[in-house]
Amino acid sequence: MKVMIVEDEMLLAMELESEVEMAGHQVTGVAMSSSQAKEQICTSRPDFAFVDIHLMDGPTGVDVGRQLAAAGIPYIFVSGNIKKIPEDFAGALGAIEKPYTMNGMKNALAYVSAIVQGDDSGSPPVSLVLAEDLSSRPRIA
Amino acid sequence: MQEKDQYRTDARDAGNRLVAGHVSEDPFAAAFKATRMPMIVTDPNQPDNPIIFCNEAFRKLTGYSDDEVIGRNCRFLQGSDTDRETVSNIREAVAAGRDIAVDILNFRKDGSTFWNAVFISPVRDETGKIVYFFASQLDFTTVKSREADLAAARHEAEAEVAKHTANLRSAMEARTLLVHEVDHRVKNNLLTMASIVKMHSRVTRDDGRRQTLMSVLNRIEALSTVQRKLFTLDDVSKFDMSEFTRELVTDLVDATGRKDIRLSLDLSPLLVPAVKATPLSLIVNELVGDAVRQGLSDGGGDIHVVVRRLNGHFLIRIEDTSEPVEPDVENAELGRMLIEASALQLGAEIERKREGRKTIVDVVLLIGDQQENAH
Repeated sequence: MKVMIVEDEMLLAMELESEVEMAGHQVTGVAMSSSQAKEQICTSRPDFAFVDIHLMDGPTGVDVGRQLAAAGIPYIFVSGNIKKIPEDFAGALGAIEKPYTMNGMKNALAYVSAIVQGDDSGSPPVSLVLAEDLSSRPRIA
Repeated sequence: MQEKDQYRTDARDAGNRLVAGHVSEDPFAAAFKATRMPMIVTDPNQPDNPIIFCNEAFRKLTGYSDDEVIGRNCRFLQGSDTDRETVSNIREAVAAGRDIAVDILNFRKDGSTFWNAVFISPVRDETGKIVYFFASQLDFTTVKSREADLAAARHEAEAEVAKHTANLRSAMEARTLLVHEVDHRVKNNLLTMASIVKMHSRVTRDDGRRQTLMSVLNRIEALSTVQRKLFTLDDVSKFDMSEFTRELVTDLVDATGRKDIRLSLDLSPLLVPAVKATPLSLIVNELVGDAVRQGLSDGGGDIHVVVRRLNGHFLIRIEDTSEPVEPDVENAELGRMLIEASALQLGAEIERKREGRKTIVDVVLLIGDQQENAH
């Protein structure tokens, strides 16, 4: 599948890119800000996206997520503070919490790529927090 | 003007009649005249209910002479700052023939003000008809100003408290922000470190080096998992060992993609002080890693993990049933060192048993309630 990476930490983005390619997918591009992301959504039409919440232009990842959801593109948040994700999850499939492990990312990627290809028989890996799980987690102020 | 003079004469006559009704040695009249409490009598049966009598104390309080008072309605004591509602309360009580006690701001002849605690009461004849109104005054300006001083002092104190509360709140907010910021940076740095190691392992052509880098990555990622699980409980000073173990072992086994490694978990919440999270997690990481490596041998295997309390101790048990494999010597040595150092730091006991093909490792940690609460 074609994957877009929305992340402002270039080193993390590059490493994630390698991870995604190693798993046999192609990366359409890395966006560091919400405007770059919005442009790429239109031009490269990815099948799936990883979205960090905090980007170069502030906590705009949620906006990017809503635009992806509106365009019918499945995505997951990748964030150090998943408690900042809005209650409705902004249409995301789920979230991976930073700092994720290589295995955690690998398992999540395998799960979502199956979902994107229409196979929802697998069970979600522990590294992927789904919307319904998050609401039952304790929140800190 | 003439009419007004006439009223005044009538009022004085009425006052004189009232006094004449009492013999000069009448103790009540004498008391009325001599008391230090200002008092007046009005006649509601004359137009505008004029004052027909006032005592010396009243004259002294208000600064008016007898001539200036007799024949006038009491309202001449009011001024611009007098509360209108209080005045209308008095008017209503008088019209209804009721007693009334109110506090009212009055004006002296010289224009100065005083707080007057006034009590007005109708005086009735045998038939019940109101023949006079009796009013007594009490200057409580000093009380009132003390009240005002107290209120001002209270307001000042409240303002001071509000200011300190605001300072405290903003300090708390700054602290919360700082904790979030630091937490965010630690998380980012851990992921950056992991990324650097992964990048290095991608560029290296040497299998031995790649193995070493992966071994380093494994330990960094154990710390990453700890960091993710910190501050997720309501009590931020605690760390749930079973939550950590569940995620670590499931992640590891899932990533092998091997269906013949069967994992079973027996976990109950086990809260340890956050300071113990890192060494304990490093131990669990080594033991679970060993078990999964064993399982990666040809036959696969069963891994069973237990995390629970046992007689006041904390027990973490890792069982695996699989063909023993020749370990990577360097990695095994590093693992042994990490376990030893962590166990020493925690005062934990590690016991290894072998029952047939089954390897059992128990990590027993004595955490009394006192220690549990220590930070």
